[in-house]
Amino acid sequence: MACDEALKTQAYLDGELDAAQSLEVEAHLEHCVECQALAADHADMKAAMAGATYHRAPAALRAKINDMLDAEANVVPLKTPRKSGFWLGAGSGAGGMAIAAALAFLVFAPANNAVVADLADAHVRSLMGEHLIDVASSDHHTVKPWFAGHSDVSPPAEDFKADGFTLVGGRADYVHGSRAAVVVYRHGAHVINLFAWADHDARLPGTSSRDGYRMVFWKQKDLDLAAVSDVDPAELDRFVDLVKKSQPRE
Amino acid sequence: MPHLDAAYNLARWLARGGAEADDIVQDAMLRAFRSFDGFRGEAVRPWLLAIVRNCHRSALEQKKRHAAAPLDDDDGAQIAADDPTPEASAMERGAASELDRAIATLPEEFREVVILRELEEMSYRDIAAATGAPIGTVMSRLARGRALLKAELAGGSHGM
Repeated sequence: MACDEALKTQAYLDGELDAAQSLEVEAHLEHCVECQALAADHADMKAAMAGATYHRAPAALRAKINDMLDAEANVVPLKTPRKSGFWLGAGSGAGGMAIAAALAFLVFAPANNAVVADLADAHVRSLMGEHLIDVASSDHHTVKPWFAGHSDVSPPAEDFKADGFTLVGGRADYVHGSRAAVVVYRHGAHVINLFAWADHDARLPGTSSRDGYRMVFWKQKDLDLAAVSDVDPAELDRFVDLVKKSQPRE
Repeated sequence: MPHLDAAYNLARWLARGGAEADDIVQDAMLRAFRSFDGFRGEAVRPWLLAIVRNCHRSALEQKKRHAAAPLDDDDGAQIAADDPTPEASAMERGAASELDRAIATLPEEFREVVILRELEEMSYRDIAAATGAPIGTVMSRLARGRALLKAELAGGSHGM
C-alpha cells in the first residue's frame, strides 16, 4: 500500500524539492516503511535506467535536417516581409538601403529574441529556487576565483553593499548556448542576476524586457553582459553604472 | 542544431521504429524552425519536445485515417503488419536489451514521462511543458510508470 506522501517523497528523490520541504521528507522517511521501500526502488530504477538506450540522432538524419533548414532559411527573406509589412513598405520606396535594413532586422532579431528569452528563463528559474547560487559569498575574493574553475569567463564580481547592492554569490548557467557566469546581487527584496558570457560579436539590444523583468545589455572588454531584474528601472541603471565603473580600464 | 538528440530520442521511444522517428524529427525540426519567431519565454527543449510529440500524434492519426480508407491494393495488409505493439517492434530490433523491451511495453503516457525524466533528466516543470500535462499529472504518471516498469522487469526472466 502506498503512503499518502509517496508523490512528495518521489519529488524529493527526484531532487525537485527545496531545502525546507526536503527536511520534511527526510523526517518522514525515518519512520515510513512504504517510502523507504520507494527510495530503494528509486535508486534501483536509476541504476537500471543508466543501461537504457539513448537514441542519438544519426549523422545522416542530422545532415538531412541541416540541408532542409538551410533551404528553408533561403526562403525566409521572401516570406518574412509579409509578416512585418512595415519593412516591406519601406523597401518598395527606398530601394537597397531599406532592404539592407530589413535584412539586418531579419538576421539579428531572432538571435536577440533567443538571448532575451534565455535570460528571462534563467532569471525566473533562479527565483524559483531551482538554481540561484552555486557559491554563496559576499566576498568577491571568494566569488571571483570560483568562476575560474566553473565558467569560461571571468565576470566583474565586486560588492556594492555601500550603494545598496549586496553581493550574495555566483553560479554557472547557459545563455544562448554559451556557458555564462552569473553574479547574484540583492537590492532590498529584489534579486539582480548579472550575466556574463564570451562576446560573439552579436549585436545586443541595449535594453529589453520580458515577463516583467527588465534587462540592460552592454559589452565590456571581451564580455557580453546583461543585468536582469524586476527592480526599479532607475535602480537597475544605477547598478549597471556601478558595475561599469568598477572595471579597471585596460 | 540544439536538442536534436533529445528530439530523436523521444521520437524513437514514441514511434514504432527508426524510419518513423526520422520522419517525425524532420517534421518537428521544420515546424520548430518556422515557428521560432513566435516562440516566447519558455525553455527551448520542452518546447521542441512538445512539437515532436505533436508530430508523432499527427503521424499516428494520418496512418489511422489511411488505414481506415478503402484500399485497392495490398497497402492495408502492409499497414496492419506495420503496426505491431511497441514491444514487438523493440524485439524486432534484436539488439534491444531486456530493459529497453520492458520500457517499450509501458503505455505511451507513462513511457514518455519515464523517458523524459530518466533519460533526458528533465525537471517536472519541463516535462509538464513538453507533455502539456499539469505537474501533478506528471508526478502521478511518473510514479505509475516506474511501478509498471519495476513489475515488468521483475516479471521478466532476467529481473532488475
